[in-house]
Amino acid sequence: MFDVQSVAHQGPQSRQFNPYTENGGTILAIAGADFSVIAGDTRQSEGYSIQTRYAPKVFQLTDKAVLAVNGFSADGKMFVKKVKQRLEWYRHAHAKDMPIRSIARLIQTMLYSRRFFPYYVYNILGGIEDDGTGSVYSFDPVGSYEREACRAAGAAQSLVQPFLDNQVYYKNQTAGQDESFPTHLPLPSVLKLVVDAFTSATERHIEVGDGLEIYVVLKRDSTAIQSMEGVQEVTTSEEGQRVFYIRRELKKD
Amino acid sequence: MTSIGTGYDLSASTYSPDGRIFQVEYAAKAVENSGTAIGLRVKGGVVLAVEKLVHSKLLVPGANRRIQTIDKHIGMATSGLLADGRHMANRGRDEAASYREVYNSPSPLKIIVDRLGLYAQAYTVYSSVRPFGLSTILGAVDKDGPQLYVIEPSGVFFGYRGAAVGKGRQLAKTELEKLQIGELTMRQAVKEAARIIYLVHEDAKEKEFELEMSWIGDETGGVHLPIPKELQQEAEAAAKASIEVFE
Amino acid sequence: MDHFPTNWGRPRNDLHDAYGTYPIHQHPQHAPKDAFADGVKRTQQPIVTGTSVLGVVYKDGVMLAADNLASYGSLARFKDVQRLHPVGNHTVLGVSGDMSDYQYIQKLLEELVIEEFTEQDGSILGPAELHEYLSQVMYARRSKINPLWNSLIVGGVKDGQRFLAYVDLLGTTYKAPTIATGYGAYIAQPLLRKAVEPYTDVLTEEQAQSILEECMRVLYYRDARSLDKFQIATITEEGIRISETRHLASSWSFAEGIRGYGAQTQ
Repeated sequence: MFDVQSVAHQGPQSRQFNPYTENGGTILAIAGADFSVIAGDTRQSEGYSIQTRYAPKVFQLTDKAVLAVNGFSADGKMFVKKVKQRLEWYRHAHAKDMPIRSIARLIQTMLYSRRFFPYYVYNILGGIEDDGTGSVYSFDPVGSYEREACRAAGAAQSLVQPFLDNQVYYKNQTAGQDESFPTHLPLPSVLKLVVDAFTSATERHIEVGDGLEIYVVLKRDSTAIQSMEGVQEVTTSEEGQRVFYIRRELKKD
Repeated sequence: MTSIGTGYDLSASTYSPDGRIFQVEYAAKAVENSGTAIGLRVKGGVVLAVEKLVHSKLLVPGANRRIQTIDKHIGMATSGLLADGRHMANRGRDEAASYREVYNSPSPLKIIVDRLGLYAQAYTVYSSVRPFGLSTILGAVDKDGPQLYVIEPSGVFFGYRGAAVGKGRQLAKTELEKLQIGELTMRQAVKEAARIIYLVHEDAKEKEFELEMSWIGDETGGVHLPIPKELQQEAEAAAKASIEVFE
Repeated sequence: MDHFPTNWGRPRNDLHDAYGTYPIHQHPQHAPKDAFADGVKRTQQPIVTGTSVLGVVYKDGVMLAADNLASYGSLARFKDVQRLHPVGNHTVLGVSGDMSDYQYIQKLLEELVIEEFTEQDGSILGPAELHEYLSQVMYARRSKINPLWNSLIVGGVKDGQRFLAYVDLLGTTYKAPTIATGYGAYIAQPLLRKAVEPYTDVLTEEQAQSILEECMRVLYYRDARSLDKFQIATITEEGIRISETRHLASSWSFAEGIRGYGAQTQ
């Protein structure tokens, strides 16, 4: 039987200020042979309330690196601000943009330096490596990271990642006779997957929706980008990488 | 001066046998070499004006301002070493902010002048520092109405209805004395201030100068602001005209 | 007597809050307490509080609304408090949450504005700059586990740009065409979304005003920590206007006929 008194005397209930919250949303990134696609929805929420329908979660760091940040948005904003600051200092010191693999290591160091009061954010970094390959790095809040071909994170990770595993890695699919699965998907297929992933996540997860922002980073001379509706070129670097921005509406209910 | 070579002028912490502190007097000399600054306490406000000598044509107009803002309602014009003026202004801002912090109200000018006077004085009693090469005019409108003070390098300060410091102070004072200063409106005072600065500049005609002016009072809602462009131009034109008539 | 104001007016022995009806920081606590034991541990809780603030973007600018009540727990303690605070000539800050933290924020802003004014460099802090400043302050304080217990709305117009944004005790920020804090986020926000968001470029001042007034009325009916006296701040390119205190007309005659709930009729 539930005894009110005994519960009441279990000592002082802790009523400590909780410095964290979750702001919903989902991000993902997929690497191709010579491109990288990084995307996120634009809804920001707390509990059952939508705070805003447009709060970007995907940020261009350099001419060849894009970072998606998901979790506690105040930490996310501060973290991106600090990463950008470090990259600016790097430019001043070395007169070039930091390579992707180094940005990835930098992010690990910055996250782990807050091991005992973590930034409550999941990061996915996408871009073009020095060798011209498309890359995706994913991180946990305290800095554990690895290079992957594709990754989803955030509220609908559990919905999107299995879909990606199936469609990008061909998990649980068997190749037909004399057929084989490609190691890398072409850009148009990837973009279709991204849009489908988010429309589906929007259907099934209340914290996902409103708008979709997709960044595409292309290797120099890559012809991967096809004429696609509403594609907008953001930057071209001296080394020839190009960054494109695509926006799509998602359902707002 | 007979002080040279005696050794009594090397430190602010040493008197000469006849009771003078030469370092303080030298600081006053630094002020005498600087462009004139004047202040007028008139009906409903205070007007500040500075003859800012421009030592190079390469300077951008408006550079090296010598009129500064201490608090919303306090303005300051300096004559003497520019850098000392900036330091004094920063100290003034700290004092004004500290008064606000403690009393949650804008400070009376007397308080700020008192504290800055003490601050200047502290630089006249140690061998390790030099006194401020600065005469500071402070103007404000506080709870008791328009106020005007001057702080000298020694730290001594007085309240005035009209004040002048710097190279042309003697002539400027004579001109100020001719005015019915308490009867002037702020707009009239701006014209007079411009005229006086142009007049005292006659002695250093070969040097370029910029007229810098500001005011605090009814015209500005009690806030220290630069004189509006049109009025400044009007006042300067009138000042130039009066000089030509004078010649 | 229970001298803990946030417990006043609440059901007794309500240790288990199955439906999440209490804000986290106000969870009822009825166990006998050692006055000192957790005094050091407890970070903070709001004491004198202001309820919802509303903000909307309309054709010519931005409008904020907040009532004039500062509550001490369930006690309507101060009934003539202005919770809309002008900063410079382009920005108004609307504040809910702890009123002493609000006064501290007012002090910070006064210092900041004077510091900037004395620079006399021709630049003026606008709503975007002030929102960024407040975000940094709020986030820094939450990171020291010593938050300023407020939800703030910053509204303003500068250089032809309308600005409306939010920041709270966690440092969480966002911009939106309509924003509501506290219970307003549950009660008024849906009404504002419907009435304002499709029309931000056509809504007139009069329309925006009547929408806000209607939302304040709904809040007054439903939010027990609200008051029927409120103010509206209007920020346009021309500057800031903060209205005199207005009175909300309301009718409670329907309550006469209510005898309990459900099947109970007497």
